[in-house]
Amino acid sequence: MNGIINFANSLFKPLIDMGAATIMLIVLTLIAILFKVKFSKALEGGMKLAIAITAIGNIMNMLTTSFQKPMQQFVQHTGIHMDMQDMGWAPLATITWGSPYTLFYLLVLIVLNVVLLVLDKTNTLDVDIFDVWHLAFDGLFCVYVGAPLWLSTLLVLFIGTMKIINSDLMKPTFNDLLDAPEGNPMTTTHMNYMMNPIIMVFNKFFDKCLPWLDKFDFDSTKLNEKIGFWGSRFAIGVYLGVFVSLLAGNNFATEEGWKDMFTLSFVGGSCIELFSVIGSWFIASVEPLSQGIADFATKKFSGRTFNIGLDWPFLAGRSEIWAAANVLAPIMMLEAMILPGNRLMPLGGIIAMGVTPALLVVTRGKIIRMIIIGTIELPIFLWAGTMVGPFVTNMAHSVGAAIPAHTMVSDTTMEGPVEKYLAYLVGNAWKQHGMFIVYALLALAAYLLLFMWYAKEMKKRNAEYAAAAKK
Amino acid sequence: MSRQVKFIAACGAGVNSSHQIKDAVEAEMRKRGYNVKVDAYMIKDVNEDLLSKYDGYLTIAKTDLSFTPKIPLIDAGPILYRIPAMAKPVYDNVEKVVKEIN
Repeated sequence: MNGIINFANSLFKPLIDMGAATIMLIVLTLIAILFKVKFSKALEGGMKLAIAITAIGNIMNMLTTSFQKPMQQFVQHTGIHMDMQDMGWAPLATITWGSPYTLFYLLVLIVLNVVLLVLDKTNTLDVDIFDVWHLAFDGLFCVYVGAPLWLSTLLVLFIGTMKIINSDLMKPTFNDLLDAPEGNPMTTTHMNYMMNPIIMVFNKFFDKCLPWLDKFDFDSTKLNEKIGFWGSRFAIGVYLGVFVSLLAGNNFATEEGWKDMFTLSFVGGSCIELFSVIGSWFIASVEPLSQGIADFATKKFSGRTFNIGLDWPFLAGRSEIWAAANVLAPIMMLEAMILPGNRLMPLGGIIAMGVTPALLVVTRGKIIRMIIIGTIELPIFLWAGTMVGPFVTNMAHSVGAAIPAHTMVSDTTMEGPVEKYLAYLVGNAWKQHGMFIVYALLALAAYLLLFMWYAKEMKKRNAEYAAAAKK
Repeated sequence: MSRQVKFIAACGAGVNSSHQIKDAVEAEMRKRGYNVKVDAYMIKDVNEDLLSKYDGYLTIAKTDLSFTPKIPLIDAGPILYRIPAMAKPVYDNVEKVVKEIN
């Protein structure tokens, strides 16, 4: 046995020592070849991923180094303990893809999708390979907290099954929101929509107790138009620089104070923009693999009509998503300041794309409900983001981001916050036993029961759509 | 060589779906012998002024706009399905626009 371990170590140790970027170059290239992707395409993807991982580490370093001192002064000056920096989704996605375990979870989820299709439990073929990182993140976090790989895999399968079932449940609502015909195959397995059950509880409350609120709905397209560039990514980066400088107590009687504020603002704006640029590189890197997997699945299921599980943005054309996000941004800022236990200063995730799409689906575009329910659920995101901060920082270090000591990073509007709590409880149940086992079991049961209730409600809604189509 | 025809694609973050469409359309049009460039944007940044700089808008699904676009809108969503037969009509529509311009 020792011989085998020594042999494996001698084989893999030099590879591991090369760092995350090199490992992923090799691993992603090999897996794409396995799915019959042409060598040059597979290698191109692998190289792009390695470059994306390297670049994101450097940009995170730039942002965190620039904001570290003003943030410390901010905390001292105000007494508000917001010492974690919000990177938004792009760096988190990239560093999650920097772990070879992400490919393991990807493989597991492909098998799950195939099994559910074969058993006729779903009609959805998930081609959104890139967003596998959401569930991989949960699995990796669960392991970080203390669970073994097999237990984290079970958790990933448990959530993954519901995610796929949810995509079938939401399909008629997508057609309604997009004004699309029955034959439209677009659906999504995105983690954003796993907030639907909780939102449905509040939506029911509005249906029963506050239906008159809907008459205050406003024209979201016009609001977005008025906000214009003031709500864009780079502008938000600039505001944060100004905001942190003000609360850090910059001396604006001196040229230095103004200079520091402008520098911080432009660093904030440029890093947020660069995160998206690198994000697109990283997506391009998994593109050959995504196509290879889609080719494989369609070949194996030839003749069958699928719903196609895409990334969430085919709904992004609905202006309510952006109107709600624009209104929720300053609300999140205020909540972050006063929320007990929150350590995250909103920055990269302040355009709340992880929050608003699910609100649109459940409320079917009732903008006032979206804003109120969004305001209520934002603390769930802020606390989840704070909870995973040490893990995210650890992962960032492991892919080579030179984040300064005592600086932590995370995301304010991370997709699937509830699942982060589940991963935390399951990990602790394994590691610490005792009451954590009870908490984890109760949480899993509550999560499942709430989803079952939500599924029943969605089936009722879908029956209404079907009846209306017959008329 | 014919003049470059410029399209815009937009999605939620301007990072994922729009880039998939950009890469696929540029590659297919190159294969068909046309000079086509696609820029990817965040959908919230799409306005009348921005669209005026392009020859066509590759949409993913129905999009709420506060104005009537003066350039052709092509539903490019099927490219994301990753099934070549479903993507072909999209490319044909793009080619039609390109031919009309050149």
